[in-house]
Amino acid sequence: MKGRQIKTRVVTILAYSLVLVGLAQACSGAWIYMKAQLAQVLLQRAWAGTLAGQQDVKPWPWADTWPIARLIVPRLGIDQIVLEGAYGRTLAFGPAHVESWSDAREGTVILTGHRDTHFAFLEHVQTSERIVLQSSNGLIRSYRVSDHRIVDSKSGRIPLDREHPALVLVTCYPFHTAIPGGPLRLVVTAEAEDIEVERKVRR
Amino acid sequence: MLYTHLRSSVVRLLLSVLITAFPLLILPTARLFAQPAESLSTGIVPTMSINEVTEGTLLFRTNQPGRFTPAPVMKTDVQIAVIGIIARTTVRQEFTNPSEKKGDWLEGIYVFPLPETAAVDHLRMKVGERIIEGQIKERGEAKKVFEQAKQAGKRASLVEQERPNIFTTSVANIGPGEHITVEIEYQETVRYDQGQFQLRFPMAVGQRYIPGTPVIVEDQEPNGTGTMLDTDRVPDASRITPPGQHHSQGSINGSGNSVSLSLTLTPGFPVAKVASLFHPVIAIPDPDGGYQISLRKDAVPADRDFQLTWVPAPSTEPTATVLTEQRNGETYAMLMLVPPTHSNDTAPRMPRDLTFVIDTSGSMAGPSIEQAKSSLAAALTRLTTQDRFNVIQFNNTVRSLFSTPQPVRTAAMRKALRYVDGLSADGGTEMLPALRQALKSQQDSSRLQQIILITDGQIGNEDELFELLTHRLGTRRVFTVGIGATPNSYLMRKTAEFGRGTFTYIGNVNEIKDRLDGLFKKLEYPVLNGIQLDRTGWTGLEHYPAHIADLYEGEPIILAVKASSLPDQAMLLGQIGTQPWSLSLSMKQATARGGLSVYWARQKISALMDEAFTGTAEETVRKGVLDVALAHHLVSKYTSLVAVDVTPARPTGKSEPGQTQSTKSEEDQESASLAGLPKTGTSGSVQLLLGLLLIVTAAILWRVQRAAA
Repeated sequence: MKGRQIKTRVVTILAYSLVLVGLAQACSGAWIYMKAQLAQVLLQRAWAGTLAGQQDVKPWPWADTWPIARLIVPRLGIDQIVLEGAYGRTLAFGPAHVESWSDAREGTVILTGHRDTHFAFLEHVQTSERIVLQSSNGLIRSYRVSDHRIVDSKSGRIPLDREHPALVLVTCYPFHTAIPGGPLRLVVTAEAEDIEVERKVRR
Repeated sequence: MLYTHLRSSVVRLLLSVLITAFPLLILPTARLFAQPAESLSTGIVPTMSINEVTEGTLLFRTNQPGRFTPAPVMKTDVQIAVIGIIARTTVRQEFTNPSEKKGDWLEGIYVFPLPETAAVDHLRMKVGERIIEGQIKERGEAKKVFEQAKQAGKRASLVEQERPNIFTTSVANIGPGEHITVEIEYQETVRYDQGQFQLRFPMAVGQRYIPGTPVIVEDQEPNGTGTMLDTDRVPDASRITPPGQHHSQGSINGSGNSVSLSLTLTPGFPVAKVASLFHPVIAIPDPDGGYQISLRKDAVPADRDFQLTWVPAPSTEPTATVLTEQRNGETYAMLMLVPPTHSNDTAPRMPRDLTFVIDTSGSMAGPSIEQAKSSLAAALTRLTTQDRFNVIQFNNTVRSLFSTPQPVRTAAMRKALRYVDGLSADGGTEMLPALRQALKSQQDSSRLQQIILITDGQIGNEDELFELLTHRLGTRRVFTVGIGATPNSYLMRKTAEFGRGTFTYIGNVNEIKDRLDGLFKKLEYPVLNGIQLDRTGWTGLEHYPAHIADLYEGEPIILAVKASSLPDQAMLLGQIGTQPWSLSLSMKQATARGGLSVYWARQKISALMDEAFTGTAEETVRKGVLDVALAHHLVSKYTSLVAVDVTPARPTGKSEPGQTQSTKSEEDQESASLAGLPKTGTSGSVQLLLGLLLIVTAAILWRVQRAAA
C-alpha cells in the first residue's frame, strides 16, 4: 500500500516536471517564431527612418545590426526588412545580407534567411517570379528568378559578379525537417530586370 | 488485475518514450540525425572539382540547370615545336554532339589544364570545311561578342583564363551529330633541372569521376579568384548521364581516345642525348642540330604523360645562342646563355658577403630545421678568409648574429657555429623585418653579396616585400629557398626575380640537406656575374628581364629582346670571377624562328604586372598589358579570345538549352563559398513539437494515474 503511494507521488512529480519542461520547450520554440514576427514590426519602423535619410538606424537600442534593404515578393505577399551581416544572431530577426560580397547596390547580392521563418516562402517561389529589393537609398530594383539549385554547402559556391546586378537567396534545405543542421542549401538566383530600375523620389 | 497490468505497461511505455526523446532535448541540432535523412530524401549530387580535369574535356549543358554530360572525344592531335626553351604546342581535339534528336543544339564548355607558364594565343574552330579564327578582345568585349553570336544562333567559341593553369572555352551551337574541332595553341617555357631540359605534355587521365561515388571538392588556397570551377559548370554527371555515354566516357580511359603527337626540337645548343621517358619515339636529327621526333606508333592511348628530356653536350665555357623573328617591321630575338656543364674550379674566386636568413618559426620544427642547420654549418666551414658572413633568424622577432656581415675569423666562426647549432624552431613568421635587416649591409660591387632566404612559410605582404627589394637591393642578390608543401612558390619565385637571384623549391623534407648543399656550392662560383647586353648598334632595344641575373651552374639565362634594328654583332659583357668577360654573337646568322614575339610579349606582360607591386597604378598597368596582349594575340587577365562564325548555324527561334540558363556564372572568376554562410534552419519547430509531446505525455500519465486511484 505504501509502495503504491510512493509510486503515485513519483508519477505525479514526473507529470508536473513533464508539463514544465514541455511548456519551456514549446515556449522557446514559439519564441523563435514570435521573435521573427515581432522583430520585423520593429524593423519596418527602423526602415522608415533609414529611408528618411538616417544612417544605420538600430531597430532596438541594443541591436548590433541595422536594416539595409526591403525584400518584397508581390505574388506571395512577402514584405521583409533585410539586416546587415549574416550571422546567427541577426538571422533570428530577419533575412540577412552577406556583407562581404557587395554593398547591396551593384553586382551580386547574397541574402540568407531561416528556412522555417523568413525564407520559408522560398519553397513556393517559382521560376520568373518577380522579387523586388529596395536599398537604403530608396532605389528599387526588380529581379526575376532564373534558377533554383540545391547545393551541398560543404562544396558549393555562389558565382559572384561585380557588374551585373543579381540577387541570390540562400536557405537551408530541405524545408520541413524537424532537425536543423543539414548540409544542403537551396540557392535561388534572380537576375535584375534592366529597364524597371526606377528611383523612388523621397524627401 | 488486468487493468493494473495494462496501466503499468502504459506508464512504462511513456517512460521509454521520454527516455528516447531525452537526447533530442539535449541535442536539438544533432547532425547525426539530420544527415542520413536528408541525403536519402534528395540524394546528394556529387560534384567534380576542376582540378580533376586532367585532359581537355568538353562538357555539354543539359536541360537541368547545373548538370553536364561529358562529350565523347573523337581524336586528339598534338604538335609541339621547341625552340630554345620555348615550347609551342598545338592541340587539336575533335568532339561530337552525340545527340540524334533533331533540334538538339548544344553549348559545350571545354576545359583544358595547362602548365603554369603556358600562354594561349590562338584559337581555331573547325566546323565542317570552315575555319573560324579567334580574335583577341578585351575580356568584357569578347564575352559580349560571344553572347551575341550565341543568341543569334551562330557558332562561337570563347577562351578565357580561369586561373593561370586552367583555360576554358565555351563552344556554342553544336548541332546534333555534328563534329566540331577545337584547336588551341599555347606557348610555355621548358623546365631545366639538374642538367637536363624537360618537356611534359599531360595525357594521363587521372582518377575519373565514377558514377555513384561522391567526389568531394576540396578547398584550395584562399586566393579568392576562382579556386574552383563554379558549381554550375562542374558537372555532376552521374544522375543525368545516359547509359550510352558511359561507354563513350569509358573509352576515354581506354583505347578509344587516342593521341597522336609529333615534335620538332631546336635546342639552340649541341645536344648529347634526347630521350622520351614513357613512349617509344623516332628521333631524326636535322642538319642544324635539331630533331624531328614522332611517336613510333601512329597513335597511343592517353594513359600516360608524354615526357621528353634532352641533355646539353658537355662544355667548360658558357655558350650563347641567338634566335630571331621578324614581325611587323620589328625584330624579336631570344638570347640564351647556357652555363658550362662543368664549372671551372681554377677560376679566381670573388670575395663574398654571405647572409643567411633562416625561418625559425614553429612550422620549421623537426627535420626541416635540423637539416637546414647542418647544411648551414657545412656552408659556413667552406667560407674563405676573404669572405664575410652573417646569420639572421626570424620568427616572432628578428635576431641577427652580427649587425653587419663579419670577416671570417676563428672567433666569429666559432660564435656562428655555436649560434647555428642553437637554432630552434618556435613562434610565428616575420619575414619582412628580417629581409630589411639583411639589406642593411653595406653595398660593395667588388664583392658577391648573396642573401639566402630559407623558409617554409607563406610570403605575406608581398607588395612591401617587392618594394623593399626594388629600392634597397643595390648590388646584392636574394636567393629564395622554399621548403615543404606550403610555400607559395609563385611569390617566392617573384621575390628571387626581384632580388635577381634564383628560387629553389624543396618539396621533400628529406632532400633539404642535399639540395641546400648543392645550392650553397653553386653560389660559391657564379659562372658569370654583372651580365649586360651592350647597347651599341641597337635601336629601340627593349629586353626582359631588364636586369639580367647572374649566371650560375645549372641555370640558363634567357633574354627576350625586341628592337627596330640590330647590329651585326651583339656583345654580351660580364665578369668571370674578377676577370672581365665578353662574348660576341653574330646576329646575321641567327636562326629565324616563330613564336619569339609571343615570348617577348609574355615577358613584357609579366614585367608590367610586376609593376603593380611597386606602386604603378592599376589603370596604367591595365593599359600597358592591353596594348601588348592585343598586339600579340595573348589571353591575359584583361583579354580573351573569341571566335564567331559569320553564318548562323542554328535556326534562330529554337532555344538552346544553354541559353535558358544564367550566363552570369561563366564570366566570373569570383565566387562565394556557401560554407561560410551561417546555418539557416532553426530548432523552433522541433522544440515546439517536443514541448507539445511532453505535455501530452504528462496528460496521459495524469489520466492513467487518476484512473488507478
